[in-house]
Amino acid sequence: MNPYGPVAIYLGVAMAAALLFSLVPGLLARSKPNPEKAEAYECGVEPTSSVSGRFPVRFYLIAMLFVIFDVEAASFYPWAVQMHALRVFGLVEMVVFVIVLAIGYAYVWKKGGFAWK
Amino acid sequence: MIANPYNSLDWNAVIPLLVVSVTALAVLFADLVARGGVKRVVCIAIGLAGLAVAAVLCAKSYGQSYSSFGGGFIMGGFTVVFEELIVLSAIFSVALYSAVGEARHLAGSIALLLWSAAGAMLMAGAGNLMTIFLGLELLSLALYCLCGMSRRTTARESALKYLILSSTASGFMLYGMALFFGATGSVSLAALANPATAASPLFLVGTALFFIGIAFKLSLVPFHVWTPDVYEGAPLPVTAFMSVATKAGALAVLVRFAYATLPSIHVREILLPLYVVAAISMLVGNLAALAQTDMKRLLAYSGIAQIGYILVALAGTTALGLRYAVFYLAAYLFMNLGAFAVVALMSTENEEGSRIAAFHGLGWRRPWLAAAMAFFLLGLAGFPPTAGFIGKVLILASAVGAGYAWLAGFLILGTAISLYVYFKILRLMYERDQQRAAPVVENSSALAWVSVGVCAIVTVALTFYPLVPSNIIPLVK
Repeated sequence: MNPYGPVAIYLGVAMAAALLFSLVPGLLARSKPNPEKAEAYECGVEPTSSVSGRFPVRFYLIAMLFVIFDVEAASFYPWAVQMHALRVFGLVEMVVFVIVLAIGYAYVWKKGGFAWK
Repeated sequence: MIANPYNSLDWNAVIPLLVVSVTALAVLFADLVARGGVKRVVCIAIGLAGLAVAAVLCAKSYGQSYSSFGGGFIMGGFTVVFEELIVLSAIFSVALYSAVGEARHLAGSIALLLWSAAGAMLMAGAGNLMTIFLGLELLSLALYCLCGMSRRTTARESALKYLILSSTASGFMLYGMALFFGATGSVSLAALANPATAASPLFLVGTALFFIGIAFKLSLVPFHVWTPDVYEGAPLPVTAFMSVATKAGALAVLVRFAYATLPSIHVREILLPLYVVAAISMLVGNLAALAQTDMKRLLAYSGIAQIGYILVALAGTTALGLRYAVFYLAAYLFMNLGAFAVVALMSTENEEGSRIAAFHGLGWRRPWLAAAMAFFLLGLAGFPPTAGFIGKVLILASAVGAGYAWLAGFLILGTAISLYVYFKILRLMYERDQQRAAPVVENSSALAWVSVGVCAIVTVALTFYPLVPSNIIPLVK
């Protein structure tokens, strides 16, 4: 059998299942629409305004900075796991990485990237 | 236990790349430390010095062969030549930043420019699919930011268009790479260089998708629509850099793929679509350039045609054709960046000089500048005594010799149309009637003048001493 055979079968099954689950309820279920049914169920309150409101672009900046430093912190993980195998080279590599990170951090700080003004 | 990565790291191969990347950090650091008026000078000086060091270190590897990261990055004559061209175009762009760069963004722009140059250099030496993609993304991500770093409103349009369209093209390329991996089970280009692989449909579909990604970066018709808009909106130094370095990086990847990876028995058939696209680019690029009223747009369309000429040299994948293609790319670098430097000398940071109306009567107002511009335009049109002339003759010879006379015919046709494009500007510059002249802006940046001078001298010098590099066979390991 072609090594990609199982992948093709999996793809077929996944698509068939998705189609089945989205089409069959529409065909079989009885439909009795009622405004009560569309309300927030048990927990939660009625929304008072549109959910897609406007909020300051600064949130994006903070979010972006968070993601960058978060990913960089995550890069420590594989190194920590393999630290003994990577030996001195790994340590030096990581120190260089931290220096690059620190310059980036200093740059963002000095340029007012963290200031909420 | 994993292998120590130090064993597969050859410093000789990656040192120019490291120098360029570290220089970018140094520029950022200098921006934090330096104060007042010195800041601008320091940032530009560090940028230029780092690039110069990288160029020298890179030149040392010419004639050598190093390989790093298990064949992921290959340094040899081929990589050296492309890296030098990329570093040179970065040097000219930094010089242009000194003329028209916005002070607020200067250090950040230079740092990003250096990183994107590093990305293009990585592409030039990439020996496996991962390095190609890494280089491409490093180049592109930095350029997205660079395109938008200007006060002009078109800059934002430029950045967004480039981001969206270029990401789509990267997606095509990545899909192609995934299929290559499916066909061979390896990301190395060397594993692809196997005649048995080339017969598999996965490989052929992958090649098609891969070529779409490359054609986008080279801005070949019909993947060129982004080029004029992005070039128009981006700051002038960025446009200048993109017009050469992005194309050099993508061309290096294409050449390594076509010469070292594709099996020679199928190469003519597999590359045929690329030649057709090149032929269309030469016509469409020059025809569309006729209608432009903005110099950057005109140079964008002219660049679309010029990259078509370069692909003609590669027809038949002969070693001689590759040498001529590299020669023409170098000639194009000097002629094109010279023209951009002239535009910078007619602009402030608002880039008044990029309007073609600004060239009205330039020959009587600033004769030296107009003479230089006339010279670069004649070069782009392929007139003697410029490198553009000798480059085109060499390309024609190579294409006809390889049995692609029809492509040579398209080249001549494209050149004939382009004469009208460039002569329109020439006529405008030497027109007596100054009533219609746009408001005059004078910039006398020393570095921009030096760029104009160097470009003009090299353009002539290459005519009489055509330095066609000899030792540039692309390798895969």
